Amino acid sequence: MSELAIKHFDMEDISNVINLGLIVIDADSRILLWNNWIAKHSGINEADALNRPLEQVFSEPMSPAFLSALKNTLAYRLPVVLSTALHRTPLPLYNAFEKNQQQSRMYQSISITPIQSRLDESCSLIQVTDSSTSIKREKMLRSHSEILKKEATTDSLTDICNRRFFDAHYKMAVADAKRQKHCLSIFMVDIDFFKAYNDYYGHIAGDNAIRLVAETLKLQISRATDIVARYGGEEFVLVMPYLPQKIAEQFAEKLRKAVFNLAIPHINSDPFHQITISVGVCTGIPKNGDNLLNKADAALYQAKQKGRNQFIFLPLCETEEYLEQ
Amino acid sequence: MNSLNELQLDALTEVFSIGAGRAALSLSEIVGDEVRISVPSVQVISSNDISSTTLSLNSGRFGAVSQNFSGPFNAEALLLFTEEQALKIVSDMMDSQMSLEELAEFEHEAMCELGNIILNACLSAMADILNFTLDSSLPNYTVASADDILMRLKKNTNQPYIMILHIDLAIENQRTAGNLVFLLSSASLTNLVTHIDQFLDPIS
Repeated sequence: MSELAIKHFDMEDISNVINLGLIVIDADSRILLWNNWIAKHSGINEADALNRPLEQVFSEPMSPAFLSALKNTLAYRLPVVLSTALHRTPLPLYNAFEKNQQQSRMYQSISITPIQSRLDESCSLIQVTDSSTSIKREKMLRSHSEILKKEATTDSLTDICNRRFFDAHYKMAVADAKRQKHCLSIFMVDIDFFKAYNDYYGHIAGDNAIRLVAETLKLQISRATDIVARYGGEEFVLVMPYLPQKIAEQFAEKLRKAVFNLAIPHINSDPFHQITISVGVCTGIPKNGDNLLNKADAALYQAKQKGRNQFIFLPLCETEEYLEQ
Repeated sequence: MNSLNELQLDALTEVFSIGAGRAALSLSEIVGDEVRISVPSVQVISSNDISSTTLSLNSGRFGAVSQNFSGPFNAEALLLFTEEQALKIVSDMMDSQMSLEELAEFEHEAMCELGNIILNACLSAMADILNFTLDSSLPNYTVASADDILMRLKKNTNQPYIMILHIDLAIENQRTAGNLVFLLSSASLTNLVTHIDQFLDPIS
């Protein structure tokens, strides 16, 4: 600092108004400087801190990482940083310090630098900044992004996955199955005579029926690897890895039965007069050029042709002629 | 001053291995899991001879933590990891559910700390074994491309010598390779060699 500046300002005034915690300790860890910021956030007055060893001033312990960093600075005269990311709250400092009030510690970024006193003693300057704001901002952004991410991939009527999520997930699931050579099952589900239901019972009842069926389908899956998505209108799709053909068929029947058991009246659906679903299933280990989704859709078409309220299974590896029959 | 002989390089490797051990210990304390750091080799070359292969700088962006040292010899030290590896290390250290993108806010500071720990450990080992102390600036973190880094190293005519430490860092079975680079002037390199020779002398 130039002499001119020394004449104009008292360093102590600056250290007391600066928005930053400043502590200076000597080689024996005795406190030589304790600025207002530190006093305010620690609840310990300058008079109670000066000339006492740092370890004895705080009533709560300082973090072991802080203590070893301090020891290193004193021993080797090398500067040290303690980042918020890895330490959070090394010192017992609080945002608004009020006694008799449970408070959580302030998030801090700390740097410790060796300095020389005018008497040529080795001292350490500890600088503390409050990183609560940046942490708060980060948390807020993260929770916003989580909400948006969920909204972007959820169907607003049924609360199950939407088509956008399905498209992305299907691509990944197929790539995964191809790479690891395990089988993948696609179930295409369609509510039978849904247009007639809507025409007779109205759109609100139609929406309710879709919601109930979606909920019922969702209840049937339990593994983290499985998803159910609304494919469009009254059509749903399920993606499930690792199911052998037999189990996939049993599961398709389970889906059909679960919806049947809802017993939602549908006067224009012959012969059961209640809401039913048709299911097309395709299972196999996908190779290049295979299209599980198209096969499951073809299976669904066959289930419709054969009288609805049933599932049809098509293996992936069969030739196209199998489909035509 | 052309280069160091094998004995001198061995001595430096030993010094830095001790430093690496200390850094690993400090990092283990922070991470709460075993961290292993080794320095398989030390090289001293002229900055004219530096290329992307000597620093294993392939494409992509790099995170660089730098500190300036002064004392018996002056040096600028750069710890280099690929940006992706740097983020991975920080996320391992933070042991969090945060995705790499979400880490960005903290990455900068945490990388400074990681670099600071490794650099300080190497310096304190030098101080203890070679008997000298250095002053140091606080660490600075920058992200740069391989070309930027090479250009910066080559352009630095005041410090025509480059000491390269290849560093292997393993946290929770994740292995990462980085480089610690010291930029040295000829006078600084001569001073360093003098200190190494003083250390070697009682042995030989």
